[in-house]
Amino acid sequence: MLTSTTKPLPLSRLEKSERRLGLLMILPAFLLLFAVVLFPIGRLLVTSTQQLRLTEPWLGTPFIGLAHYQKALTDPRFWETTLNTFIYIAVTVPGAIVVGLGLALLANQPFKVKWPVRLGLLLPWALPLVFAGLIFRWFFEFNQGIVNNILMWVGLPKLAWLTDPFLATIAICIAIIWKTSSFVALILLAGLQTIPKSLYEAAEIDGASKWQQFIEITLPMLRPAIIVAAIFRTITAIQTFDIPYAMTNGGPGNSTETLAMYIHKTTIDFLDLGYGSALAVLMFVVSLVMTAGYLRYTRRDPRQEA
Amino acid sequence: MTRLITGTALAAIMTMSAGSAFAQTELRIFTGGQQRPDVMRQILDAYQEQNPDVTVEIEVGGATSEQQQQYLNTVLASQDSTLDVVLIDVIRPAQWAAAGWAEPLDEYLGDERDAIMDRYLPAYREANIVDGAVMALPYFADSQFLYYRTDLLEKHGVEPPKTWDELKAAALKIQEAEGNPNLAGFLTAGAPIEGTVCTYLVPYWGAGGELGGEGGAITLSAEQAAQPFELWGDFKEAGVLPANIAEIPTDRIRQDFQAGNAIFAMNWGYVWNRVQNDEDSQVKGNVGVVTLPGFTADTPATCIGGWQLAVSAFSENKEAAVELVKYLSSPEVSKQQAILASHMPVFPDVYTDAEVLEANPWFEDALPVVETARSRPVTPAYPRVSEVIRTNMNAFLAGTQDGAASLQAIEQGLSEVMQ
Repeated sequence: MLTSTTKPLPLSRLEKSERRLGLLMILPAFLLLFAVVLFPIGRLLVTSTQQLRLTEPWLGTPFIGLAHYQKALTDPRFWETTLNTFIYIAVTVPGAIVVGLGLALLANQPFKVKWPVRLGLLLPWALPLVFAGLIFRWFFEFNQGIVNNILMWVGLPKLAWLTDPFLATIAICIAIIWKTSSFVALILLAGLQTIPKSLYEAAEIDGASKWQQFIEITLPMLRPAIIVAAIFRTITAIQTFDIPYAMTNGGPGNSTETLAMYIHKTTIDFLDLGYGSALAVLMFVVSLVMTAGYLRYTRRDPRQEA
Repeated sequence: MTRLITGTALAAIMTMSAGSAFAQTELRIFTGGQQRPDVMRQILDAYQEQNPDVTVEIEVGGATSEQQQQYLNTVLASQDSTLDVVLIDVIRPAQWAAAGWAEPLDEYLGDERDAIMDRYLPAYREANIVDGAVMALPYFADSQFLYYRTDLLEKHGVEPPKTWDELKAAALKIQEAEGNPNLAGFLTAGAPIEGTVCTYLVPYWGAGGELGGEGGAITLSAEQAAQPFELWGDFKEAGVLPANIAEIPTDRIRQDFQAGNAIFAMNWGYVWNRVQNDEDSQVKGNVGVVTLPGFTADTPATCIGGWQLAVSAFSENKEAAVELVKYLSSPEVSKQQAILASHMPVFPDVYTDAEVLEANPWFEDALPVVETARSRPVTPAYPRVSEVIRTNMNAFLAGTQDGAASLQAIEQGLSEVMQ
């Protein structure tokens, strides 16, 4: 703006053209967002109210209202896969934060050579999810897997890691925590480095132990970073797909299938795009509700502190 | 969108090259990693030499039939034109016809249609004609056989089994005598994959079960439907099936057998070539192939397999693609595949060819097996049918669901397939 007017005067020609230019400048970004975010979401909502099965194209795409949502709510598999997804959230979000915090504290130590620890932090994060899933599947394989090798080596019986529902869930959670804790660690490490050294020096003088310093200084100061990490981790946990897909493909039976895997199966394998879209909308709602909860908490935060 | 862009690009290229005397046609063929793309490459090189104006590129997809179809579903649902010819599993033509993804070949074959189709084994003629239209041409045939270790059977004085009881007794005898904990008695697919559907159907058909139903619904014969669970449950309890059977997919059976870790294995024709020729094979020269056992010696059953060549309905070079498909589905190529990859021929005559028999002595007895092999349910909703059967079979083999519950879940699932 060239002039800042307080009175609501009609805009000059210059201002008008400035405004047009401004709108023109944001147009590409808006179009891109529209094309890759708004349009697909709108399309998803529309499809979820239509019958759309590519296996039976002659049925057409009639509007069927909320019938798919009704079906989902009485579909036992929707509830089972949602429950499985919540189990992964409940285990892997805290798990990744605890492990990630440990890694971040380790990386924050004044080692002379810092790069090995930092590389170790980055590698699991940089690895594609499916690769991580495949690697852990080999680890947990019954005959050739290294985990069972170790069990036998110490004289324990081999375990059916991938074909027992309980053990398979544990194996998948271990893989997810390994894969995602490095991302959490990166966020927490950044948080750790913003804590002023003087706080620790003062605590030292007051005679606080290392543990007390951790509880009284590190954790409270890290809280915003932990919340950010928890939000990101929760959103990705809701979408858990790749690692169980590669490790068990949902088996044995459907016992390790997540909601995202059920959506994939319905849409890509069964080609029922209508029902798959409705399931995807429901997953979106779950994501929205969970993140909204976190966001309320973060908004309340500064006022409390003030 | 993609079509539009390719279309524009193509138009631009065509205008530019209008002056050149030679219009080069580029075709792209999709195949699975397990269907020997290396052998296909050899065959295509020969084709390119005969047809210098055509170049064919191979795109290799996933290792299992479902992984390949998952990818193809996204490509074809978006009407992408990059693929011209696609190698599809024998269970797919009905689905492809329903979705309108395969170009019907009748017009291209013209007057030759019936003459061409009559040359194939009847099962493959039927599998590729959907509602009277030719949707694809067969590339190679397949069915499941019983692979066994000739050295171990000889050593312990056991004849190749003709019934499941004989197989169980033979496996237990050899396992006990060998005392090797890694030696599985019998292997079949148990992971939640397509092959596991046959693990259910082979004993079901063997017991006399039929797949019934009208209007797309599928029903099982009540008396025989529980037999597969009884058979495999018994095998697992006796230790003939390994404890990890529920994590074993098709090619893993081949790898374990090839490493010398199984006495008997139920698998497809391709295994022969690999166990006899692969450098790392521990069982070279010690492998026999016979018809799968039955509950009685004269009632064996097996699943029909094999791969078909479909022309994509979205291809921009359909004429050239059909020519290529006709070549790949010819007796000459069938013979080449039999020799190079132990892919079973789709023409009855090729089974008795001297060179083919030299490479695959067991083909002599294989023709009647392929001729009597049974088809998995033919329906556009096959992916759902398959998922219901394989998931519950997998849960049963893993021991998380008993036979009665698995059967009930299968029947329930099948009744919901067409809703």
